Amino acid sequence: MTAPDGRTPAGRMTVGPAPDVPAPDGAAVDRDGRRTFTPDFLTELFRNPLDPGYAAAAERKARGEGPTGAARKVISGITALALAALGFLLVVAYQQTMAEEPARSRAHDELVDQVQNRRAETVRLQNRADRLRAEVAALRERQLGGAAVARLRDLEAAAGLAPVRGGGARITLTDGPTPVDPLTGERETEAQVKDTDLQLASNALWSGGAEAIAINGQRLTATSTIRQAGEAILVDVRPVTSPYEVVAIGPDTLADGFRDGYAGRFFRELANRYGMRFDAAEVGDVTLPAATDLNLRVASPSPAPSRSGAPDRSSTGGG
Amino acid sequence: MKDTTQRRPARAARISSEGTMIAVIALVAGVVLGLVFDPTVPAGLQPYLPIAVVAALDAVFGGVRAKLDGIFDDKQFVVSFVSNVLVAGLIVYLGDQLGVGGQLSTGVVVVLGVRIFGNVAAIRRHLFRA
Repeated sequence: MTAPDGRTPAGRMTVGPAPDVPAPDGAAVDRDGRRTFTPDFLTELFRNPLDPGYAAAAERKARGEGPTGAARKVISGITALALAALGFLLVVAYQQTMAEEPARSRAHDELVDQVQNRRAETVRLQNRADRLRAEVAALRERQLGGAAVARLRDLEAAAGLAPVRGGGARITLTDGPTPVDPLTGERETEAQVKDTDLQLASNALWSGGAEAIAINGQRLTATSTIRQAGEAILVDVRPVTSPYEVVAIGPDTLADGFRDGYAGRFFRELANRYGMRFDAAEVGDVTLPAATDLNLRVASPSPAPSRSGAPDRSSTGGG
Repeated sequence: MKDTTQRRPARAARISSEGTMIAVIALVAGVVLGLVFDPTVPAGLQPYLPIAVVAALDAVFGGVRAKLDGIFDDKQFVVSFVSNVLVAGLIVYLGDQLGVGGQLSTGVVVVLGVRIFGNVAAIRRHLFRA
């Protein structure tokens, strides 16, 4: 360090506080009572990276105070040991790093494998479920026969459990332009279709007499949800994207009614103001798929058990 | 001790080459030992290994520079080596306990890196006169 060695004239010692004692702010008061600032830690670090201990040791050696003879031999031996430890450390660290690397990529590969396996499994199970469902339908048809099956089919169609076909209306909503703000880099989402818009459209269709509705091929049931998650819209937890097609099966007047009703006026206003695209058209013949994740939640035994003894499960509002 | 000034350069050179030989042999021996024993590092110590290596490198480059400056001292080297490794490990351990382990490791690496850089620059000036 830059501490002046003890050549302070004794007579000046009384001026000011004791010299070479650094003040809390790193300043030292020198012999003349002036405050000198020693380089701070980082400056010193950059200027003189060598441990000052080496210079001190060399000085001691020059004065002939260093260890001699056997002590010196011992210390050299310890140096050799330290270097051996260094080599050991380097090798261990290297091998450790090398050993960790494959572990990391192995974990990644394993995860990819797992995802793919699960996907294949899902497809397999889905196919099996479809096959079994068809089997169940066929068996039920054979067992019940005639009117009961027809009634069941009507109920299923109304509940969204079975695909339906017919004429109705197709409402198309498309996001307007979403420019990126050049200053903030954020996308303006005003002109995007929101979950409430789709809710409004479906509710207007229901009230217009629609019997079945699907949004982008997702059949709505009594418990369907249309929610916004960030910028995505989820219909029954599955994402749908623009353009949104709300297809409904219902009376022939459905499209006209929608266009002239509150919802139609609302969407025309949105289209005018934000540049969304809105279209309501009549469709002659469309097929809406069955809802996918309908779970049987409530079941009660039929009051009159069938002859075969098997309880006839009647689904009550299972969806 | 009177006439040491006369003989000093030759003696210093001899000691220096001998010491370098020992140092290199010791280093190689350590590497071989590591390869032969292939030790597994306990999981608790694994985060400190890279920091320990950087700290050790700092001590080594300091030692090499001191050697080239002609002021190498065995005791100083050993003490700085051991204390560097221990203090670096301790700082990172403390940081881990305080929840700033990553940042403190970065700080330690920066400070030691600056020192290594400075010492390597001095070594370079010794070796290439540039």
